[in-house]
Amino acid sequence: MTTSSKRARWGVALLSSLALVAAACGSDAKSAATTAVPATAAPTTAAPADTQAPADTQAPAGTEAPAETEAPAGTEAPAATDAPAGTDAPAGTEVPGATDYHWTPDAGVLAGAEGQVNLIAWAGYVEDGSNDAAYDWVTPFQDLTGCKVNTKLGNTSDEMVQLMQSGEYDGVSASGDATNRLIVGGDVVAIDTAKLPSYADVFDGLKLKPWNSVDGKPFGMPHGRGANLLVYNTEAFAESAPDSWGVLFTSGNPSDGAVSVYDSPIYIADAALYLMATQPDLGITNPYALDQAQFDAAIALLDQQKALVGQYWGVYTDQQAALEGGTVLAGTTWQVIVNLAKANGATIDAVKPVEGATGWSDTWMIAAKAANPNCMYLWMDWIASPWANAMVAEWFGEAPANSKSCGLTSDPEHCATYHADDEAFWTDVWYWQTATEECVDGRTDTKCVPYTEWVNAWNKLRA
Amino acid sequence: MGESTITGARIRPAVQLVGLRKVFGTAANEVVAVDDVHLEIGEGEFFSLLGPSGSGKTTVLRMIAGFELPSAGAILLEGQDVTRLAPYDRDVNTVFQDYALFPHLSVHENVEYGLKVKGVKKTERRRRAGEMLESVRLAQLGSRRPSQLSGGQRQRVALARALVNQPKVLLLDEPLGALDLKLREELQVELKQVQREVGITFVFVTHDQGEALSMSNRIAVFNHGRIEQVGSPRDIYDHPSTSFVAGFVGTSNLLNAALSHRLFGVDAVHSLRPERIRLVHAEVADGETCVSGTVTDIQYLGADCRLRVTLDNVDGTTSGDRMLATVASDGLVGVALGGPVRLAWPRFAAYTVSSTDPTTDQTTDPMRVDFTGGTPP
Amino acid sequence: MSERTPVGGHSAPLRGVNRLFRRHRRLGLAALLTPPVFWLVVIYIASLGLLIGAAMFRLDPRSHKPTTELTTENLRTAFTDWDFVNVVVRSVFVAATVTVLCLVIALPMAFYISKIAKPWARRGLIVAVLMPLWAGYLVKGYAWKAMLRPASKFGIDKDGGFLASVFGWTPGFGMVAVILALTYLWLPYMVLPIYAGLDRLPPSLLDASGDLGARPLRTFRSVIVPMLVPSIAAGSIFTFSLSLGDYIVPKVVTEGKIRLLGNLIESTLLAPNQPLAAAFTLWPLMIIITYLIGMKRLGAFESL
Repeated sequence: MTTSSKRARWGVALLSSLALVAAACGSDAKSAATTAVPATAAPTTAAPADTQAPADTQAPAGTEAPAETEAPAGTEAPAATDAPAGTDAPAGTEVPGATDYHWTPDAGVLAGAEGQVNLIAWAGYVEDGSNDAAYDWVTPFQDLTGCKVNTKLGNTSDEMVQLMQSGEYDGVSASGDATNRLIVGGDVVAIDTAKLPSYADVFDGLKLKPWNSVDGKPFGMPHGRGANLLVYNTEAFAESAPDSWGVLFTSGNPSDGAVSVYDSPIYIADAALYLMATQPDLGITNPYALDQAQFDAAIALLDQQKALVGQYWGVYTDQQAALEGGTVLAGTTWQVIVNLAKANGATIDAVKPVEGATGWSDTWMIAAKAANPNCMYLWMDWIASPWANAMVAEWFGEAPANSKSCGLTSDPEHCATYHADDEAFWTDVWYWQTATEECVDGRTDTKCVPYTEWVNAWNKLRA
Repeated sequence: MGESTITGARIRPAVQLVGLRKVFGTAANEVVAVDDVHLEIGEGEFFSLLGPSGSGKTTVLRMIAGFELPSAGAILLEGQDVTRLAPYDRDVNTVFQDYALFPHLSVHENVEYGLKVKGVKKTERRRRAGEMLESVRLAQLGSRRPSQLSGGQRQRVALARALVNQPKVLLLDEPLGALDLKLREELQVELKQVQREVGITFVFVTHDQGEALSMSNRIAVFNHGRIEQVGSPRDIYDHPSTSFVAGFVGTSNLLNAALSHRLFGVDAVHSLRPERIRLVHAEVADGETCVSGTVTDIQYLGADCRLRVTLDNVDGTTSGDRMLATVASDGLVGVALGGPVRLAWPRFAAYTVSSTDPTTDQTTDPMRVDFTGGTPP
Repeated sequence: MSERTPVGGHSAPLRGVNRLFRRHRRLGLAALLTPPVFWLVVIYIASLGLLIGAAMFRLDPRSHKPTTELTTENLRTAFTDWDFVNVVVRSVFVAATVTVLCLVIALPMAFYISKIAKPWARRGLIVAVLMPLWAGYLVKGYAWKAMLRPASKFGIDKDGGFLASVFGWTPGFGMVAVILALTYLWLPYMVLPIYAGLDRLPPSLLDASGDLGARPLRTFRSVIVPMLVPSIAAGSIFTFSLSLGDYIVPKVVTEGKIRLLGNLIESTLLAPNQPLAAAFTLWPLMIIITYLIGMKRLGAFESL
């Protein structure tokens, strides 16, 4: 009796330790994985003439907010600004930010800068020059504001929502499929545009949209927009370049068995988009508003796709490596991955297919309980300012949010290429959005499959 | 038991060791464990290898078993050369000092192990193992694990496990060493009895000279990897051929050359057993040697007393020579600590022995002492 | 209890504390055991309770946060949906295969190190076995991926990874890759307990077996292996549970194609659907409980 109960006690103790390990691994090891990946998987992405300390701010230690801040903390004016800080400074010429970077931070906010800011971002949104010395909009920001930037990369919108729920970050570059969840969950708050001079220059097509506002109140600073592209190996598809998502969904292509698919439930929308064009009978009008029958059809298509898939990528460097290695010949991608792989010599190209594409319109949001709100405000204003926004738009390969950025891109045609001001272009780009039971296409006669079910279906599909 | 009826000449040897040598360690740091061992062990003999620890006796046993390969020399079992054979190809079995019972097997399975390995049918090996356990009086403990047995019981299981294979030779490596005195004495009797019943040749390693003397037909005394003397217990005891044997087997007075010269007129080391010495109250008998001295210690041992005596010189002064004498307690009349005493012994009781002290070593050849002849004073 | 006068050298207050503990043995024991027991109860047992509790919460579908509303839906999904049970079965298969492979490799390896290698070589070999543990886990995972990469007509490096370019064959990014990489990763955890077990094995037992007529293989089968059962069981606890819980290596070496229990838990947790993730976590918990009970029977805990 005593021995058996003793046995049970020890059993419980051992097991709970294992349970903890299993549970803890969920977040900790993951963060280790994402931060370590650039170092191990993509050693070839070294930038030319790299004078920066590599991966300094890009891979902060996990979820911790680093304590060391080189910049003067608190309310002091940053050392980099020679001119007297605050309202006395004549607007424009004498503030370096104004001349070099076309940005004048709000003096009141700058006065309250905390010395650091902790961001959750998509890969390519917060570059400090370690990938390419020519692309660095973190260092000037740090110099101008004294806010040290700590970045945690999110691989999917889902992951970003989960990270924001942890409450350890000041802000996030949220896509449309994350914003609503964050707003409803109270993880982010509305912004005060008076403190954000750059907001005025943002294209109207990006302001006060369903995914970044509630009742006419803006919930963040628009960052830019882009489309998920079809990438293909130009050697494998030497005879005819593909222009349809059909390459990823039907067999008989050079890429059979070497298709690369984004490993997230949101990819169900890509299948729905393809069905929208190829099976009009299903009556899909919006890939994020799927009733049960439409949803099942999309899942069936994805199930059938499995035979063609060579990779489900979650971390962008994994797809980059596979594109370079030639183990992936076609897939869904981001422009930034294409740029990185091409720079390493991959023979690839990317296209927006005829069916249109899913895409993103991203918004920088500030956490409801941000520990460094002033620095976050400064960052939101900075990233949407003409120079910085032009840099990020060119680096990532997307359309800038700031209308004045178009005059500052190194490629003068950038805004035209990415249709920054061409609203017609965006009509067949379906920005990521969270599916809800109330159909987002406005149907009221039926219930749509909510995103929680998308997650379950994706998990089952991938099981 | 009496005198050994077995001599090398009369019976077929079960084990022959020819020029056996074993060197351990590297060439730079050689340790010679066994050197130049020649031995013939007769069939059915209870043969003991006696010596202090490190004398090479266990190494010899392990070479017979096959656990160690000799550096030189040969081992013959019933005339057949087995020097290079693996243990499992030799028809010998061993009882280990720590018994080496398999802890994951029951007593019965332990005893069956050898038969099972040799492919004996299940019913047959069950029966034989059962009988063997019966004969060591452990039949009712067959289902126990070795860890549930006492030391003596384990020892008997180890014996049964070896004997059930009916080997030509049974090797026993200090099998009683781990037991307490009373149990050891019981098992000595039992072991001897078993040996007589099964008639198998026993090669018994021990450092206990009493054990060797009481159980063996013959004994080989080992020192520094070499054999000092081979002989029956009586031979060894009464006629130790070297000072080492004299000292190691029982207790001896070793009379140095100077004293021997004075007493016997012979310039050689002599050995004299203390119990051969008597107290002289009146006359010295014919053929006796007589000395006088001072009692320095009296040890009462019950029936006997042990006296330590410092001998006098001829002129009456005290010499440095000391002597140990064992005498009957009731004969201890008129002897007092510090008082004078006279001791005597038959002349033939003192024998010349060769010295094996390496510093003064003249010979390592065993020098037999003739029972009748001796070395007359 | 002897009442000795304390020998000089202690200061008065220290003597007082000493005396206090000597008079009240239980007090000293309590002072000694409170921190670890606190740790055990609060960190281990309480968190286990929280985990089970978390699995009962309903997820708010709009914010993807757990509500306080209770439901058994998550448990039902986790334990009755065949698609998910399938992942569990696959994970157990992988963990068991890895364990068996580790055993098959570790047994002769440990035997060689412990019984055959020269004493000076032994230390070096043990270090060699342990050395991979010093390398980063992710580095090893990606190293395997690099080695396994198949040749491709269209890549920058068309020869493929080490296996493809040197041997002309690679198992590719599939189930074999997962099992290979996990076996490599956890092998030291099997070698060490077996080596320790062999070290404890009295040499006389091996002599005895040979003496009784058993050839070396027979001795290995009938004496060494049965005596090593507790060590093997202990090692298998490591290899089995580490394999069962791993999710990064499967993702890395299969290009995300094969998902194990850990991947399922990870993706559900990141969805974020913490309640369902908690429900899935009960699977490995139950499997490991069962496994540990089984191993306990084999005496694994005497060998840890």
